[in-house]
Amino acid sequence: MLEIKDLHVQFNSRDHEAVSGVTLTIHDGEILGLVGESGSGKSVTAMSIAGLLPRKQCKLSGDVLLDGQDLLHAQRSELRRLHGRKIGVVFQEPMSSMDPLMRVGTQIGETLRIHQPDMPKEERHRLVYEAMRDVELPNPEETYRKYPHELSGGQQQRAMIAAAIVSRPSLLLLDEPTTALDVTIQAQILELLKKLNRETGISMLFISHNLNVVRKLCKRVAVMQKGKLVETGTTEDVFFRPQHPYTQKLIESIPTRHGKEVR
Amino acid sequence: MKNKRMNGYLLAGLILTGLLVALMLLGKFWTPYSPTEMNGAAKLQPPSWAHLFGTDNFGRDIFSRVMRGGGTTLTIAVLTIAIGAVLGTLIGAATGYFGGAVDDALMRLNDALTAFPSILLALLIISLVGPGKTYNVVIALGIVFIPSFARVMRTQFASQRNVNYITSARLMGAGSLRIMILHMLPNTLRTLLPALTIGFNNAVLAEASMSFLGIGVTPPDASLGYMLSEAQGMLVKAPWYAISTGAMIALLVFGVGLIGEGLQKLEREVD
Amino acid sequence: MKYTIRRIWMLVVTMLIVSFMTFLAFELVSGDPAQTMLGTEATPEQLAALRHELGLDQPFFARYFRWLGGFFTGDLGSSYIYRQGVWGLIAPKLSLTLLLALISFILITVISIPLGVWSYRFVGGPFDWLRTTFNQLCMAVPPFFVGILLCWIFGIILHLFTPGDFPALRSDPGGALRHLLFASICLCIPRIAMTVRMMRSTVIGEMEKAYVRTAISRGNDRRQVLTRHVLKNSLTSTVTFLGQTMAELVGGSIVVEQVFGIPGLGRFLVSSISNRDYPVVQAIVVLLAFWVVLAGTIADLINQRVDPRLRLGGGAK
Repeated sequence: MLEIKDLHVQFNSRDHEAVSGVTLTIHDGEILGLVGESGSGKSVTAMSIAGLLPRKQCKLSGDVLLDGQDLLHAQRSELRRLHGRKIGVVFQEPMSSMDPLMRVGTQIGETLRIHQPDMPKEERHRLVYEAMRDVELPNPEETYRKYPHELSGGQQQRAMIAAAIVSRPSLLLLDEPTTALDVTIQAQILELLKKLNRETGISMLFISHNLNVVRKLCKRVAVMQKGKLVETGTTEDVFFRPQHPYTQKLIESIPTRHGKEVR
Repeated sequence: MKNKRMNGYLLAGLILTGLLVALMLLGKFWTPYSPTEMNGAAKLQPPSWAHLFGTDNFGRDIFSRVMRGGGTTLTIAVLTIAIGAVLGTLIGAATGYFGGAVDDALMRLNDALTAFPSILLALLIISLVGPGKTYNVVIALGIVFIPSFARVMRTQFASQRNVNYITSARLMGAGSLRIMILHMLPNTLRTLLPALTIGFNNAVLAEASMSFLGIGVTPPDASLGYMLSEAQGMLVKAPWYAISTGAMIALLVFGVGLIGEGLQKLEREVD
Repeated sequence: MKYTIRRIWMLVVTMLIVSFMTFLAFELVSGDPAQTMLGTEATPEQLAALRHELGLDQPFFARYFRWLGGFFTGDLGSSYIYRQGVWGLIAPKLSLTLLLALISFILITVISIPLGVWSYRFVGGPFDWLRTTFNQLCMAVPPFFVGILLCWIFGIILHLFTPGDFPALRSDPGGALRHLLFASICLCIPRIAMTVRMMRSTVIGEMEKAYVRTAISRGNDRRQVLTRHVLKNSLTSTVTFLGQTMAELVGGSIVVEQVFGIPGLGRFLVSSISNRDYPVVQAIVVLLAFWVVLAGTIADLINQRVDPRLRLGGGAK
């Protein structure tokens, strides 16, 4: 459903390409993990798929096709029609990613208001509550009226996910969605994402620097280093039979209680 | 603070301010005509080559008066800011570095002082120390500018109090005074410099306002503000007097404002 | 509600400190008012009688609280110069100054908020330097200089009003308002420039925040990001700034009243300072300070309505 072909991203302020020649496919209903250290270009890849890079400040080349539609060279207005409706994005810091002055429910329903302005209010509320139940936010009626700072970190991220899926997009981009959370909350969010994928068949691109997290969630993994894709394969293959020396080093560096368990 | 590049604002501001300051400093020693001597034969002349800014109804050369009056304004503004910045920095450094009860008390006092608009506070102080004397204007305005500098510098020093290199300097046995002057003060410059330009402009405008009201500088001294109040009286007969005097104040403030804008732009580019 | 009460309590405390500082300061410098009023020829008996009449033989704190109470009862002592009650002298002038400040405040709010948002469009553009320079120029022009120019052009040349001859508000409200409007224009120009500059940098700062990226990822266009999210988030700093503007307007009106010959509080303050008429100065200073503190309090209360985070008793940060 999403095809990335030979993607290059070059920021005007830098000498090196942030992403150089990434080719990647996400199949229908798949959760693909994208791992790498910070600065490896994984977030930039996601942002260029989402069309969130400042176009004036960088050069983009290659193809990004969502169900055959070109995202990289699309008009701004065309991209806006896809944002939220076909692609949902969840960011790393839920607290700062939410508008602090807008009620949680209003934020969750925002994509509906933008893309279906004629939808009656009651219908919109119904869909918002449905999305809130999907992400297992407690007391939807009460939470709807709350402000972001009144939620816990985990609830904030659940609300962000609800906002991303409320319009039922076909692709969800998750940029380090669990990094800012406690380990226990992290596990809950991962379970939630798995459940959403299972029940709704939504495709996901899950970006993380944490291999353990990726291993729990994804069937297929891609590894990036310095803007290049160094290895792609099933999670099993990559973790147990890493081909590239960089991947091997990454896996060795995973802290575990029993050093040998990973291998 | 490395890699400093000149920018247009800074350059234009420095040139404009430099020219005006040079003219005003020169006015302290030499002017084309005597700024105070009356000349019955040359009353109310519009600007000409002989009298660049014209003459007033006593036949005094306005260009000469502006040069001399600008010097007075400049002196007062610089002294005012010197008092405000030095005392403000001392208070801010002490309270920010040591913190504690004195810090709390002084900051409460500071809050109460902000209840007065600066010109009102200046008027209050001047009515206490007595109106109409140049050094009283300097004292009144100087006191008015202490709280704002103290507040800015307190934040600067407090934010550095627990930074690693300060802690390690302290562990190596450096005294508080040494730490404050050698290690902390240089780091506050990036905030202090723009604050100085804003303060200077406020001082020029405040002095001009007070002298305009007749409770600042009074004859035989003349500052630009006093001259403007004089010019208002002869607005019908000699509008050039008011225009050249007011424009001088505006240009001075404008020039220093550009320097401030340029400094802030430098900071943004460095970050 | 809790916040509101706490904020009003803060206002009361601040005003107590302000009034006490003012009273103490004048107590220290004013010498013996009875001597001032009666002159050097007065006999000791006359002095003692007047002191008793003015309540000067009472202890310091008794006099302070009596004076403080005067702001509620209207008995603020009497002027050394006019030999009349201070409150009676001040009251008609107070309304003029407040009217001038209010007109200016409305002009500033109505003009600078749209202008500030509009000026955001030029950020990074080729004409940005021009806008910045013009802005600096507007901030550099002293209000009283603009006032003099306005008097010259609109008063002396075009005869739209008579500088120095202020029509009474009662008999000629239209003329009085026109006069005040010209005065408020020169008060406004530098403040509008400052507000626009502040709005612009606030909007730039908000635009860099993470929630803007979220808003774009949901399909908002540039205008919607601004109107739905950024403007509301910029509102608190704008309100705080406008509160401070109210303070500066009071200060500015002191000078501008002089230029336009408006018989307001500021002009009276200046003449009273020259005359060393301390009871009048004292009262005006405290009243103007109260106006300023009140503006700050109202700004904080509005902000607390806008930003739910401020309601948690976290104070006005």
